[in-house]
Amino acid sequence: MSYQVPMSRRSAVFAVALSALVAGGASAAAPKHDFSVFTVSSDKAALEAVVAKFVERYPGSKVRVNAADADQYQTTMRVQLTSGTAPDVIFTWPGNGNSLALAQVGPAGYLSDLSSRPWVKRIPDKYRQVTQSQGKTYIVPMTETLIGAVFNRDVIEKAGVAIPKTWTEFLGTCEKLKAAGVTPIALGNATPWVTQLVDYALVPSTVYASQPDFDERMAAGKAKFAGSGWTDAMNKYLDLNRRGCFNKNPLGTSFEESLQMVGTGKAAMVIQVSGIINQVRTFAGHDRFAMFAVPGADDAAKVLIPAAAGSGYAVNAKSKRSAAALAFVDFLAEEETMNLYAKRIGSLPAFPSATALDDPTFAPIRPFVESGKGVPFMDQRWPNAKVQQVHFAVVQELFSGATSVGDALGRMDAAYTAK
Amino acid sequence: MTMSSPVTAEAPVPTRWPARSPRKPSGGASWWFVLPALLAYAAVVLLPSAGGAVFAFTDWNGLAPELAFIGGANFERAFRDPQVRSALAVTAVFALAITVLQNIIGLALALLLNTSIRSRNWLRTLLFAPVVVTPVIVAYLWKYLLSSNGAVNQVATALGAGEGAVNWLGDPRMAVVSVVIVTVWQTMGVAMVIYLAGLQNIPEELYEAADMDGASSWTKFRLISFPLLAPAVTINVVLSTVNGLKLFDQVFVLTSGGPGYATETLSTLVYKTSFIVGEFGYATAIALAMTVFVAAVSMGLMAWLKGREAHVH
Repeated sequence: MSYQVPMSRRSAVFAVALSALVAGGASAAAPKHDFSVFTVSSDKAALEAVVAKFVERYPGSKVRVNAADADQYQTTMRVQLTSGTAPDVIFTWPGNGNSLALAQVGPAGYLSDLSSRPWVKRIPDKYRQVTQSQGKTYIVPMTETLIGAVFNRDVIEKAGVAIPKTWTEFLGTCEKLKAAGVTPIALGNATPWVTQLVDYALVPSTVYASQPDFDERMAAGKAKFAGSGWTDAMNKYLDLNRRGCFNKNPLGTSFEESLQMVGTGKAAMVIQVSGIINQVRTFAGHDRFAMFAVPGADDAAKVLIPAAAGSGYAVNAKSKRSAAALAFVDFLAEEETMNLYAKRIGSLPAFPSATALDDPTFAPIRPFVESGKGVPFMDQRWPNAKVQQVHFAVVQELFSGATSVGDALGRMDAAYTAK
Repeated sequence: MTMSSPVTAEAPVPTRWPARSPRKPSGGASWWFVLPALLAYAAVVLLPSAGGAVFAFTDWNGLAPELAFIGGANFERAFRDPQVRSALAVTAVFALAITVLQNIIGLALALLLNTSIRSRNWLRTLLFAPVVVTPVIVAYLWKYLLSSNGAVNQVATALGAGEGAVNWLGDPRMAVVSVVIVTVWQTMGVAMVIYLAGLQNIPEELYEAADMDGASSWTKFRLISFPLLAPAVTINVVLSTVNGLKLFDQVFVLTSGGPGYATETLSTLVYKTSFIVGEFGYATAIALAMTVFVAAVSMGLMAWLKGREAHVH
């Protein structure tokens, strides 16, 4: 986790330099930009691809790309921000929920106000709140990340299973896959952040379908996790486990193992963020994968999906090269750049784009996206990073039988209201 | 552990034996040799640590430009926090299990390799090898070995134990056991080397005298080797206890403190509270309390074991 340090500057700089050579014949009038950008490992390839395009447009520019795994990134970036050594362009999570999310970093004054940039007005309304802090826009959102069931088409077709539209159908799918001798759903709950995903996939249908203002009511102290549709979601999560829909020992299975199981066809699907599809393809050596919505309700009309701005970039307020940083952020907001970035990490672009939705990977989940049935990730609206940590722990405890759903949600409520 | 009648009380004391008693400090001159290292240590460790300790009395979140001094509120909270109590209990279990196993296994290996078996040099190198590898790398290797479909379970399956027979890292109790196994596997080499050095310092004449009296191997161990290994026991027990109380790398890589909080130690709790949850002031308070606790335990242990050494001699 925090010890993966895939910080290869050299390879990035080499790629950039190469692109610069290739684009050597471009206009000599284009300005040269020299700046640094730090991102998370999962977005590194996508960032390098757009950096190469940026250098094509501005030949001779020097962009230093650095990346670290998410946990390591949060630790490192917090130290860099407080010590004044942060790079010019900074990967920042939209909304709240972790210690390097916008709501945590924005108010501390480390980021530049981007409210006057030309692309701000194109930010979809649903992402205004998670890209702003105290009324000012600080990040350009890059991707729309979905959470759903990433499935192996070959396995599903061989088992003769149709894509389920309701919870009961979903349970039926699970039984059919078991009968066909495959693990229905790969689950890697040994990796803490993975534990939250099944809840996130179900809660839009069990909570927000009937209470769209649940977050506001939580913030006002008028609603709690305990006693809400969260109870239904957690019980459904445990029900899947009791029915044997997951692999054996989910708590002893890592995130990487779960992807490998789907890639190799040992498991039919994994409930995950859209950004992992490329990793599954790598394990499989083919791209016969797609994503469907996990139906969290028996009324198909009430099925909603988690869809959120997944990645964002901000400009360091103390940057000495802010003109270059701003030019890069403006470049990121262009449709072509954003589509390329999203495609590279297997997500949709944050700004609506018809061409991006044509990707067959998203065909089964496309109707939900197009009809606006997305709900932001729950943690993006939580007041602190602690709720998420407690959520990880209680899901693991539920799976080991160390706690009950009522107690788990009570502890999440306590973390929500903690100062 | 009663050491009331060690053989030294009865056996003839060899002439060179008194020279081995602990030397007294030779006065002020030795400090001048330590000074450069001490200055460097103070500059890069002691002073920054002392400076950082100030945050324990603030509400700083690790990012905000402003912070408020809140006195001892963080410490009060730490004493009431059930998560801190749980982490303290888990840490104590780890420290105890690691100390006991590391010392028993280390001593057993040292005794085995202090004999004249032909491959002893090879075995010494082999058993010490894990010590020189970074704990994080060792933990990652074990993580793959112990995963659900890892090598250990594959062997178990091949032997007919059923697929994924043991949930090494996913079962709360087995996770504790796994962390102890991995840590002891890596650190037993240190204990072995220290015990081996201790064994080789014991004069051969004592064993010869015991042989003449017809003492069994067990009697020789009980009345000669073990009592005279007292200084090695002191070093090993104190080192392994302190390392057990500070346990971080192995836990963080193998289980991240999970499942739930089953393997959450004080060190992983401090890390998560500061860097992931963003409660820097509170985490510093826990870390400071932990520093005092570890210092008290190690000094107490040291005093007790030193007293025991004197008693043995």
